[in-house]
Amino acid sequence: MTFQQAAEAHLDDVYGYLAWFTSDRFAAEDLTAVTFERALRLWHRFDPDRGSVRTWLCQVARTVALDHFRSERRRARREELAATPEAIDFRFAEGLSPDLESALARLTAGEREVVALRVLLDLDAGAAARILGISPTNCTTRLNRALKKLEEALHVAA
Amino acid sequence: MSQRDLVAELRAAHVEAPPEVRERVRLVAAGAPAPPRRVTWQRALVVVVPAAAAIAATIVFTRPAKQQQQTVLEANKPVRIQPSAGAATDRAAKAFAVPSPTNRVQKYEATLSLRVEHARDVSDGVKRALRIATSFGGYASSVHAETHGSRAVADLTLRIPRTRIQEAMAKLAQLGTITDENVSTVDQTALLNNTDRKIARLQKQLATLRAEPKSDGNDRRIAALVKRIETLQRGEATTRRNAHYATVHLHLETPPVTVAQKHGHGPLHGVGVALTWLGIGAVYALAIGVPVAVLLGLVWLCIRVVRRRRENALLQI
Repeated sequence: MTFQQAAEAHLDDVYGYLAWFTSDRFAAEDLTAVTFERALRLWHRFDPDRGSVRTWLCQVARTVALDHFRSERRRARREELAATPEAIDFRFAEGLSPDLESALARLTAGEREVVALRVLLDLDAGAAARILGISPTNCTTRLNRALKKLEEALHVAA
Repeated sequence: MSQRDLVAELRAAHVEAPPEVRERVRLVAAGAPAPPRRVTWQRALVVVVPAAAAIAATIVFTRPAKQQQQTVLEANKPVRIQPSAGAATDRAAKAFAVPSPTNRVQKYEATLSLRVEHARDVSDGVKRALRIATSFGGYASSVHAETHGSRAVADLTLRIPRTRIQEAMAKLAQLGTITDENVSTVDQTALLNNTDRKIARLQKQLATLRAEPKSDGNDRRIAALVKRIETLQRGEATTRRNAHYATVHLHLETPPVTVAQKHGHGPLHGVGVALTWLGIGAVYALAIGVPVAVLLGLVWLCIRVVRRRRENALLQI
């Protein structure tokens, strides 16, 4: 598989992961481009025996996203805006109910990340755990907690 | 809504990248990936430069040691004096250039050890040493020579007039390769002067006694004094006679036969030695490597824990 084929096949997955992870459409767009730039540079390191292309691209995307979060935190501290984050009108996906969109927005980045990997991208526990750098059990626990939180938020909204 | 319905709804959701992002990624992917240059010249430099420095340092630090070793070896190497070389004769003469003034009475002793190549050279050397001694007006006071196969040893004690000792030593040194030499002189002029003064005093006493009237006691004292004077004069004469000749102890020998030592090593001895050293190396590596590995592991764990905590804190937004 060439890099072009990999990029074409998994662009939506990477974008979706980053969009849910950051809950910021503009940031997700930029980070998607940065992710593929970085992936192109590191393409020679990709080893198909160690995982799928999608998993590897998500690992690169996660590194890029974490860098983004760090720079955002520094910027927020510098500008003393940490306590008042700017509200962004963002839709996680087409076809989601407004209540679910609202409940997703209340999750933390870490919780949205695990939901994106396990539910949106439908990765198995092993692959998702590899991307997150945790054990599969821990990954499943995190997912259950996130889903429970979502469920509670939907009950409250109902 | 149950959790199953929730997951079903989330899975039904479809996220599609905007066209502009797709275009950007296509542009990025269109750029041919750079061929992986695993061994870049910078990386090669990182290895080559320290290696070259280490080699240069090794050469620099080991060369003087070798030269010094060579110098020491050359210093210990016996001086071979060629029989026909005039320079060599000078060198041998200089080696024994201990002045022996003729106006002083000295006891002169020299020891000269020479190495010759073959057993027959020892025999020839003995004959030539005797000729040298007689040619300078000396003689051999003792000669001892023995041969066992290819090994031969000879010990000679030569008495050579002290005035010509340096020439004689130069000639004797040409008989073989000098392995050891020793010269000692003891000045005996002061001792003889003392003896002379003592004899003069005794003779004076003797003259006084002889001038006195004869008696039994006087005769006995005269006889004792005469005897003592004669003893001193004989001793003085012996000392002067001995000092006329220098004593040279000449030792001639063939090199010791080197017998190849058999250690009884089998064909696998080298393998055993190699394994022994490998074992020693492994013990050292374990002794040093295990604590280092444990330390590195702990550091890695600490870094991982700190990183995980920071990451979790970062994602609590």
